[in-house]
Amino acid sequence: MGTSVQVTPLCGVYNENPLSYLVSVDGFNFLIDCGWNDLFDTSLLEALSRVASTIDAVLLSHPDTLHLGALPYAMKQLGLSAPVYATEPVHRLGLLTMYDQFLSRKQVSDFDLFTLDDIDNAFQNVIRLTYSQNYHLPGKGEGIVIAPHVAGHMLGGSIWRITKDGEDVIYAVDYNHRKERHLNGTVLQSFVRPAVLITDAYHALYTNQTARQQRDKEFLDTISKHLEVGGNVLLPVDTAGRVLELLLILEQHWSQRGFSFPIYFLTYVSSSTIDYVKSFLEWMSDSISKSFETSRDNAFLLRHVTLLINKTDLDNAPPGPKVVLASMGSLEAGFARDIFVEWANDPRNLVLFTETGQFGTLARMLQSAPPPKFVKVTMSKRVPLAGEELIAYEEEQNRLKREEALRASLVKEEETKASHGSDDNSSEPMVIDTKTTRDVVGSHGPAYKDILIDGFVPPSSSVAPMFPFFDNACEWDEFGEVINPDDYVIKDEDMDRGAMHTGGDVDGRLDEATASLMLDTRPSKVISNELIVTVSCSLVKMDYEGRSDGRSIKSMIAHVSPLKLVLVHAIAEATEHLKQHCLNNICPHVYAPQIEETVDVTSDLCAYKVQLSEKLMSNVIFKKLGDSEVAWVDSEVGKTESDMRSLQPMAGAASPHKPVLVGDLKIADFKQFLSSKGVQVEFAGGGALRCGEYVTLRKVGPTGQKGGASGPQQILIEGPLCEDYYKIRDYLYSQFYLL
Amino acid sequence: MASSSTSLKRREQPTTRDGDQLIVTPLGAGSEVGRSCVYMSFRGKNILFDCGIHPAYSGMAALPYFDEIDPSTIDVLLITHFHIDHAASLPYFLEKTTFNGRVFMTHATKAIYKLLLTDYVKVSKVSVEDMLFDEQDINKSMDKIEVIDFHQTVEVNGIKFWCYTAGHVLGAAMFMVDIAGVRILYTGDYSREEDRHLRAAELPQFSPDICIIESTSGVQLHQSRHIREKRFTDVIHSTVAQGGRVLIPAFALGRAQELLLILDEYWANHPDLNNIPIYYASPLAKKCMAVYQTYILSMNDRIRNQFANSNPFVFKHILPLNSIDDFSDVGPCVVMATPGGLQSGLSRQLFDSWCSDKKNACIIPGYMVEGTLAKTIINEPKEVTLMNGLTAPLNMQVHYISFSAHADYAQTSTFLKELMPPNIILVHGEANEMMRLKQKLFTEFPDGNTRIMTPKNCESVEMYFNSEKLAKTIGRLAEKTPDVGDSVSGILVKKGFTYQIMAPDELHVFSQLSTATVTQRITIPFAGAFGVIKHRLEKIFESVESSTDEESGLPALKVHERVTVKQESEKHISLQWSSDPISDMVSDSIVALVLNISREVPKIVVEEEDAVKSEEENGKKVEKVIYALLVSLFGDVKLGENGKLVIRVDGNVAQLDKESGEVESEHSGLKERIRVAFERIRSAVKPIPLSASS
Repeated sequence: MGTSVQVTPLCGVYNENPLSYLVSVDGFNFLIDCGWNDLFDTSLLEALSRVASTIDAVLLSHPDTLHLGALPYAMKQLGLSAPVYATEPVHRLGLLTMYDQFLSRKQVSDFDLFTLDDIDNAFQNVIRLTYSQNYHLPGKGEGIVIAPHVAGHMLGGSIWRITKDGEDVIYAVDYNHRKERHLNGTVLQSFVRPAVLITDAYHALYTNQTARQQRDKEFLDTISKHLEVGGNVLLPVDTAGRVLELLLILEQHWSQRGFSFPIYFLTYVSSSTIDYVKSFLEWMSDSISKSFETSRDNAFLLRHVTLLINKTDLDNAPPGPKVVLASMGSLEAGFARDIFVEWANDPRNLVLFTETGQFGTLARMLQSAPPPKFVKVTMSKRVPLAGEELIAYEEEQNRLKREEALRASLVKEEETKASHGSDDNSSEPMVIDTKTTRDVVGSHGPAYKDILIDGFVPPSSSVAPMFPFFDNACEWDEFGEVINPDDYVIKDEDMDRGAMHTGGDVDGRLDEATASLMLDTRPSKVISNELIVTVSCSLVKMDYEGRSDGRSIKSMIAHVSPLKLVLVHAIAEATEHLKQHCLNNICPHVYAPQIEETVDVTSDLCAYKVQLSEKLMSNVIFKKLGDSEVAWVDSEVGKTESDMRSLQPMAGAASPHKPVLVGDLKIADFKQFLSSKGVQVEFAGGGALRCGEYVTLRKVGPTGQKGGASGPQQILIEGPLCEDYYKIRDYLYSQFYLL
Repeated sequence: MASSSTSLKRREQPTTRDGDQLIVTPLGAGSEVGRSCVYMSFRGKNILFDCGIHPAYSGMAALPYFDEIDPSTIDVLLITHFHIDHAASLPYFLEKTTFNGRVFMTHATKAIYKLLLTDYVKVSKVSVEDMLFDEQDINKSMDKIEVIDFHQTVEVNGIKFWCYTAGHVLGAAMFMVDIAGVRILYTGDYSREEDRHLRAAELPQFSPDICIIESTSGVQLHQSRHIREKRFTDVIHSTVAQGGRVLIPAFALGRAQELLLILDEYWANHPDLNNIPIYYASPLAKKCMAVYQTYILSMNDRIRNQFANSNPFVFKHILPLNSIDDFSDVGPCVVMATPGGLQSGLSRQLFDSWCSDKKNACIIPGYMVEGTLAKTIINEPKEVTLMNGLTAPLNMQVHYISFSAHADYAQTSTFLKELMPPNIILVHGEANEMMRLKQKLFTEFPDGNTRIMTPKNCESVEMYFNSEKLAKTIGRLAEKTPDVGDSVSGILVKKGFTYQIMAPDELHVFSQLSTATVTQRITIPFAGAFGVIKHRLEKIFESVESSTDEESGLPALKVHERVTVKQESEKHISLQWSSDPISDMVSDSIVALVLNISREVPKIVVEEEDAVKSEEENGKKVEKVIYALLVSLFGDVKLGENGKLVIRVDGNVAQLDKESGEVESEHSGLKERIRVAFERIRSAVKPIPLSASS
């Protein structure tokens, strides 16, 4: 009866690889997240490539490489063509992240996995949703409703809820329950008892998260300590995700303390990023939107941060201690890598990591304990060709062009030979068919090629070349020439046109320098040299990942208490740990599938719908309990006119049922309640509560989990016969509803 | 237990539930324009749409008729946009009434709301008593206002609502409310035409059951945007070319931004005009620019693409003007000034000094509320009264070019035809216009399935929705889909407007609630022989089983399959049972019995009685009691031949089988009465059925 749900991980289980999961709901295939790593390892996408063409919809959760990096590649190379759903910031910042990745890569390698156009194409058709927007899928997905909800972690970050027939599948990875400067905490805990929860165990073993204030203090102290001794501080960051939080912390601290050390934010897209972020206030924390509403202070009007989009600007900056936030966080590419190599050997400098580097990257290596003294890095640089190389290149290009032309002409010759035959049979020999003109060029041999240019070619049916001729026939009737009224309509859009066209493309506002870099077609090459960098600068790692820690994850899952739980994205140890914990304490159905292992998490829930007749409902007395109301019903099944089952009141007397006590007793709350009633209470050993002099009260049986997932509570009250006993029993009853 | 209490209360419940009646009452904007405020109530949920002030009145008279409702019962208050006639009584309603529900508006609306109302308080020169609220009230109200994003679904007390883009002004929203499956769309002010910076109003995905729609434009048809803009720029161009001055009295926010965009672009395209200054005299609008620059997500693609290059709201040809003192009136110029109605302030000052020169022009750019000077001069009177009380001839040209961004007739009728709501309620329009619109809409929907209503203020429109209550039976109870006649018993959980039926022991699985069992153990001092207790209990209760406790080997009794009585020590016995009303009662009686034994120990004489005999005697007693009670109820009761009781009432005869409780009678009323009476008597005589637990 239940909705059939299958989960197949495509990447990112039992390790920290990028995330990519296939979730199929009643045969409708969702690809949730489409991540890649900073190394762009194509082997990670093997599983995806096998299923890409069967995907019906793509949902994106966070605007970073790990969650959406493979989208352009998958769209271009793997046959992924489904509509993509994401929030506005995930779309916009994700696009910028991909630009930054591409441009960083292009600088240091002959990157050819995807191009800027592929990125644009991939992001062009993203359907943008707002938080809590229930979007009813069209077509094949009829009946399925998807909705993104606040996840924390990154701007626009979403946990996805997929609902079909009242059953929820929730996908929540990398959420953060803690409120941050620019983000609200997740709303995951507002979902209760979904049919399936897919979540990560990434931080399951990570427990000692420092309090925010203390962490911020340490963070700022460490930075200012290094600045004061004249050192530089490098923060390797992501393009448009967690970096926003860091910028705000620094900005705030700088204005409070009046520091004059410059802060630079250096990525290929930094100014666009901040421009867009400024208009995303709706997606940020309550305090930020409030400060804007009351005083129109946009928190991202950064006064102390200079936005840079190329390294030269940084090199030209006045010397002296400075803070630089540069991408990529992995130090595998981007400005951060260059700067690291430059600064690593000065002991006054500081490289401050704010998140765990991706596996197998330079950043991860530097984060190991103890940090390496030396690291071997391959530095690559794109340099324009010059001298002999340039000549050689040009010759090579020319040769290629010639070969190309020759090959094309040969092919075309073949084609035209074939097409000539059909053209002879053409019923309208006078029609000029410009489509075939290209073919004709070849038919007369390459000798004509230099003379004939586009539009100046003979129709295939003619023997010799001739000028193109278009018969401008016009229709006449008794009133004269037939006109098309549309030609004379004043176009409304005319006035807008100018504006519409300037920058109407998806990338909208790319920085000029970036644009020039993109358009730079000067021949260039990549040169690499390996060098050994002495790491004498300080290396510090602090947790600004913005993810919930192990304890919160556990209590969050316990609160949500899904009927079935699927664990993904964590090292084997953490996955196993969380799995055991959940099996013991939360729910009996916990799955942690391997890559390409499909787990069926169809709920085994039986359900049917009935209509509640007015007659029955008028006799039901609801009791209010929290935000729901409960009542006992005894009814008889009947049929409505529309042949639907309906519940009618019992014809005879209902057989009595076993009374049920409904309510959730918390011993601690009850203790407070009793003392407010003037009863002496104290905790005795073993979780028992001693009320008055003689009466004890305790919970027995398996210790109740939060959320009551473990079954009915059992409460034992014992004592001698005395007035107190009955009084306390009455108080106890007052905590429950009897049905 | 539960069933008996229900049957007691049954009579108190009214037979027809009033929940299915849906009431819509305009408290303002009913057959008028201004002070929008529409109250809606359905199934115990109360919603208020908008909370405006009538711009033509002042003080309490400008408020909507809040007296008609109890503000404390309102669950949700939804504000569509920031205009005075839609949002300005909010601080009053939040701070000066008993309202304690939740308020929602969009981000942009909230940001502008504060600036606008702060300005409103400063500008409106009314006596202190007439002040409805002050700046402090506005600041306090900011904390209570919650924000909602377009399309975001919010649920409050089972009321689900979300909003769509409405066009009109920045941040304007149309609210769709869903209460128990009945959907109501409140459009607020909306426009289906995309303009320079705003998107057109969206067409909701779902058709509403009721559409509360504005009717400002009535049956008018707007000129196309292109022609309007051309007229506007032509008038300005020719006036300034002749050396005249152009006054554009406009509301500070909303349409003014659109007009400024037009002017700035026109000036940019006509370099010959560049020496003619354009002033825009609104410090408020200046302040709001940051808001316009931030919430570009609420605007259309055109502006967002323009924004990518340079900020279109940074005007190149338009100068701000703070007050008339800074203004040197020396030659042709264009001034856009507030207030839009020419009631007072800068626009009025300029009007007074310019109105008698026929070279000058005044362009009224939008809808004007009845009773304002701007509305008066549209009809081009010969003379006008100046602020100082004198009259002056009105020589300046007056042009009415509507940029008001209210839907016109064509937009309204296509909008409604797309949605096909069965109920249409027209608000926010002048009575005459509204009637014309109503008549014309009737011709558009001739099938008669559509009701069109035009309630006046405080006039309620009642509708009835036969909302079916659907429940989902889940879990164990649903393992087998029942057939007609089968019984379904379980816990009905209502959350919002969704119902679920489930078995009690699965309550914790499917809801956040949980069940509990309370085990009670009580010790009573008792020094006598345990056998005595057993004997006594046997005399009172139908079922007493003896056993021995497995651990201690002490004797134990299970009374009525519920309560275990155990000898704990020489001096104590203990009672243990699981709480429920019947067990509590049984245990209470055991306690009483034990205490009495303690007291009466010497008197106890163990009677040798035949168990069978006592059973018989019991039976006889029961019969006697039943007979006596039936006689007291019905009078003529005789023992019939076949062991049945024959009851005669007013010539009707009924036969009652004492064993099964079956009644035979030709008179159905009597039959039913006897059946019920007998059932009750039986449950009184034998209150605790042994099989209760089964």
